[in-house]
Amino acid sequence: MTSNYEAKINALREDALNIRRNVWRALRGAGSGHMGGSCSAADLLAALYFDHLRLRPQEPNWPGRDRFVLSKGHANAALGAALARAGFIDDSVLDQFYAYQSPFGMHPDIKMPGVEMSTGGLGHGLSVAIGMALGARMQGKDFRTVVMLGDGELQEGSNWEGAMAAAQFKLSNLTAILDYNKIQQSGPVAEMQDLEPLAEKFTAFGWAVREIDGHDMAAIVEALDALPHAADKPSMIIAHTVKGKGVSFAEDSFLWHNNLVTDEVYEKAMAELGDGA
Amino acid sequence: MTGAKPDTGRPEWDVKSEDQSRLAFGLAVGELARRDDKVVAISADTIDLFGLRGFLEASPHRLIEAGIAEQSAMGMASGLATTGMRPILCGYAPFITTRSLEQLRNDVAYANQRVVIGAACGGIVLAMAGGTHHAVEDLAIMRNMPNMTVIVPADARQTWHAALATEQLDGPSYIRLGGKFAEPPVTEIAADFQIGKAEQMRPGGDITVIACGCMVPPAIAAADALTGEGIGVRILNMHTIKPLDREAVLAAAADTGAIVTAEEHRTSGGLGGAVAELLAREQPTAMRMVGMPDEFAIVGPTARVREHYGMSQQAIDTACRELLA
Repeated sequence: MTSNYEAKINALREDALNIRRNVWRALRGAGSGHMGGSCSAADLLAALYFDHLRLRPQEPNWPGRDRFVLSKGHANAALGAALARAGFIDDSVLDQFYAYQSPFGMHPDIKMPGVEMSTGGLGHGLSVAIGMALGARMQGKDFRTVVMLGDGELQEGSNWEGAMAAAQFKLSNLTAILDYNKIQQSGPVAEMQDLEPLAEKFTAFGWAVREIDGHDMAAIVEALDALPHAADKPSMIIAHTVKGKGVSFAEDSFLWHNNLVTDEVYEKAMAELGDGA
Repeated sequence: MTGAKPDTGRPEWDVKSEDQSRLAFGLAVGELARRDDKVVAISADTIDLFGLRGFLEASPHRLIEAGIAEQSAMGMASGLATTGMRPILCGYAPFITTRSLEQLRNDVAYANQRVVIGAACGGIVLAMAGGTHHAVEDLAIMRNMPNMTVIVPADARQTWHAALATEQLDGPSYIRLGGKFAEPPVTEIAADFQIGKAEQMRPGGDITVIACGCMVPPAIAAADALTGEGIGVRILNMHTIKPLDREAVLAAAADTGAIVTAEEHRTSGGLGGAVAELLAREQPTAMRMVGMPDEFAIVGPTARVREHYGMSQQAIDTACRELLA
């Protein structure tokens, strides 16, 4: 017999599996795509879209909704999969990845229901999310803003402008989640421009920092449930993840940051992911 | 705020602007904030540049100080706009354009957010500061942003009206302003201002000068001198670079057959470029372009450097005579 809590965690794991399967589905339809950073983010997105965020998929512009900005916009396949499962877009849109006149391109487009900001150029999402959090505060609204950052994009200096500003404004209604999969397009982050010591950096910038295993659903839910992590600071959740999580040949390799997806590759990936319970 | 001063008959905003468009813009920010509680100013360490100190003291919660950080300032403006706020970003023209250009393109223009960008010290207002502080490519850049409205007011009065007119816009806008010295008033205090509608300052059937910003006064002076010689010079104050007033340009080309453009900007891609592109497509017309050549400007007093590059009454006069010869 499982408790309600265990049932919820198990359901969120199913949601994450669904996102991963639909990532590979979308990429097969397009012929290629960013599987690595999409699959590392899948558990985090599942917890956000199917537990944490207050949303009305049938009313995507509901003013009271929580805001989510995917700053690492190249993980749009995973965002699209979450939006389809949540009911913002039709499931068939997932077969239109990269397609002619599709709302569902490589990167998020604000014109697609459920997408809060067009992203893709790296280092943009944090400051946009700060604006959203300020907008909530200035209008006396209680919606929360969550931005997902990639690790490679933290090499962009604009993030550190935002990191200063969010702390300066004491934005406790703002949460940044770092999908820290340690790999960027051309190799390991640590060998290119190392971010470490990262928790210490954000702490020094004035953020409330927590580190979690970004594939441990219970840990993710616990961290999100505990928000805000400080009364007068923005919260930073550093989620340690595995690039390409769930498909062994794609895991932990910069070769699978963005790669071709043939039918054969797709079948192998889906066989590894399985159908779930 | 719009009440008349009894001694002069001038409205308070006109008196207080000290004939400086950057100050008129700052006063308009206050007026817009008074009218709409969603309006919020964003400073990039530019509070006094825009004369916003009084506004900050009266309404501290309506001004966000981003610091010397144009990229996050631009991103924040976009994020604020998505929540229904009406951000007005106050920056230095050379920095708020190119330093934060990707945020401007992606977060503001591509996402089509209602952000007003006030850009002080446009052109070579800061000529003494050197090329790092000049903005003589900003209009070309802004004009190539889909969704963007681009305005270059001719004086402080027109700045007031232009800033208030942004209330009607559904997308982003860029208003290029002057610096810390007086700009001679050439428009009426109570002028009817419409975005995208050129203001005819002088009639004339022999040649047309289309000018914007600080080149409007020398254009008028050149026209008046030529009129004294019996040459009819039409002056169009093309305060809106985008959307360009097609009808006014095409009518001028048809009526006068010769057009001179005058701007404090490189002659490629700005006002001259916009007019030339339109005329090349629809009504090829003899033209001369007054503005900066394809180089970085020298250092010096602004008026002297403007003359150096032929952004002057003399240069407009010469261009007119070449076309009329």
